[in-house]
Amino acid sequence: MATEAITTHRMLASVLTKTIHDQRRALVWWTLGLIGTAAMYAAIYPSVRANAETLNRFVKSMPEWLRTSFLSTSQDYTSPAGYLHTELFSWLAPLLLLVYAIGAGARAIAGEEERRTLDILLTTPLSRRRVVTDKFLAMVAGTGVLAAVLWAAIAGLGAPFDLRPDLLKFAAAVASTFLLALAFGSIALAAGCATGRRGLSVGVTSALAALSYLMDALLPSLKSLAWVQRLSPFHYYADHEPITNGLDPLHAVVLLAIAGAAFAVALWSFERRDLAA
Amino acid sequence: MADVILAERLTKWYGKQRGVLELDFSVHQGEVFGYLGPNGAGKTTTIRLLLDLIRPTSGRATVLGMDARRDAVEIHGRVGYLPGEFALYENLTGAEYLAHLAALRGTSDLRYARTLADRLDLDPSMRIASLSHGNKQKVGLIQAFMHRPELLVLDEPTQGLDPLIQQEFYRLISECRADGRTVFLSSHVMPEVERVCDRVGIIREGRLVAVEDIGELKAKEMRTIDLHFANPVPPTAFEGLPGVREVTAEGDRIRCTVVGHVDALVKAAAAFEVVDLVSHEPTLEEIFLAFYGKGERGGD
Repeated sequence: MATEAITTHRMLASVLTKTIHDQRRALVWWTLGLIGTAAMYAAIYPSVRANAETLNRFVKSMPEWLRTSFLSTSQDYTSPAGYLHTELFSWLAPLLLLVYAIGAGARAIAGEEERRTLDILLTTPLSRRRVVTDKFLAMVAGTGVLAAVLWAAIAGLGAPFDLRPDLLKFAAAVASTFLLALAFGSIALAAGCATGRRGLSVGVTSALAALSYLMDALLPSLKSLAWVQRLSPFHYYADHEPITNGLDPLHAVVLLAIAGAAFAVALWSFERRDLAA
Repeated sequence: MADVILAERLTKWYGKQRGVLELDFSVHQGEVFGYLGPNGAGKTTTIRLLLDLIRPTSGRATVLGMDARRDAVEIHGRVGYLPGEFALYENLTGAEYLAHLAALRGTSDLRYARTLADRLDLDPSMRIASLSHGNKQKVGLIQAFMHRPELLVLDEPTQGLDPLIQQEFYRLISECRADGRTVFLSSHVMPEVERVCDRVGIIREGRLVAVEDIGELKAKEMRTIDLHFANPVPPTAFEGLPGVREVTAEGDRIRCTVVGHVDALVKAAAAFEVVDLVSHEPTLEEIFLAFYGKGERGGD
């Protein structure tokens, strides 16, 4: 009998490392997907550049609300920063990182609870707070890895196609995307901690994200409702165009505060709740 | 004797659904305490209250002298727990799972875990997803025993284990008792509790209806015995014997109900040619009948 197989395992030394260990295959696939996405964006860029005049004329003909919602206010659409702001950061980059973070956040506690692996985990000498914190940190790490991959893929694959954004400001835009994903991932974690239901947490958080996106993108076109935009986390994500202006500390703090508040709710609600049998 | 578990008016309601009601009992150090009741009686609820997985509606519990609620983390460090229904991390091997839990318990000493895997005949190198129910149960048992806890809380521990492994499990329980450690074990089958426990608490519809010494329980235990003789035997040969009740005869067969020891019945039967003797284990319902003279619905 191969009982000597029972040996210590560095990646299984804590809930944090074990959760990352569980994600290793998924992270490889996400990485490949992000590299493919970056390659596609890079490969299309030369043709955008070649048709700059036509495209810019088209952009100018767009209604104002559409332009302000999705296009850079200060950069030419066909510049690297303008292109990335409009094509990558206006939807696909936040979408991808949000999908990952919301999934990880919802799965963290509610996933284990639904699969019935939580009872044994929580009868080890780890407090509930400690387990939630480790799960939260694993989500932060996974999302961070994907953000870094996105940055590196565009930085590496863009250059041969003349897609050469200012790498520091591009990093700021990626960081802002990361913070946005963190905010929604933490909300999903809190929903999972409070309800123990993974599907519900994914659904509610995704709906909230979609609503926030629309609030930020469409409502400003109605002047009287412009203030509503400020309620949307998306407003603090890219409305200040980090790819042009760098990260606005105040906006970054708002996103961090949302994540922090949601994390606090996760700790608090999980601490005081009965676990599902 | 120190109380390792002390429940005081421990009550749990799930909304309007009954969990357990005003439980008062104590489990002493070094004993094996059986917690017996039909499914749905509240056994798992009690155990999850003791381990702070759920919180009481009223009343309290003390485990190893500490408050079950406030000191849960410290209690968990000194308790081994096997849930009644649980899942393991399917993507890990048994070995990885055990190493993970050992690490969370702050130890890298896995020698006893290896010994247990050997004794329970588990191949820990297999991925948990590919293990049978019985083998998953073994992994669950090992994680409960492997840190040699002062108190073991086992919810229906033998479900899914084949008989040989059950024997090994009973030996593990005996070893715990010999070490002065305490075991709290729930079950819905009487023979298991009789076999390994010193005392038994009987729970029914959320209430603890009795806490008995196993010896006393056996003395009161009622069972049905079927005797098959070579020739017809008059039932009068058995009527009125000590402990024997309700004798019915049908040709060469006699069926009777016996409370306590079967000695008198067996000696009386020996006067005739016995073809076969079958003793039926009492169901929980029969035990309740013997104890309280009322059936499942007559309790409250």
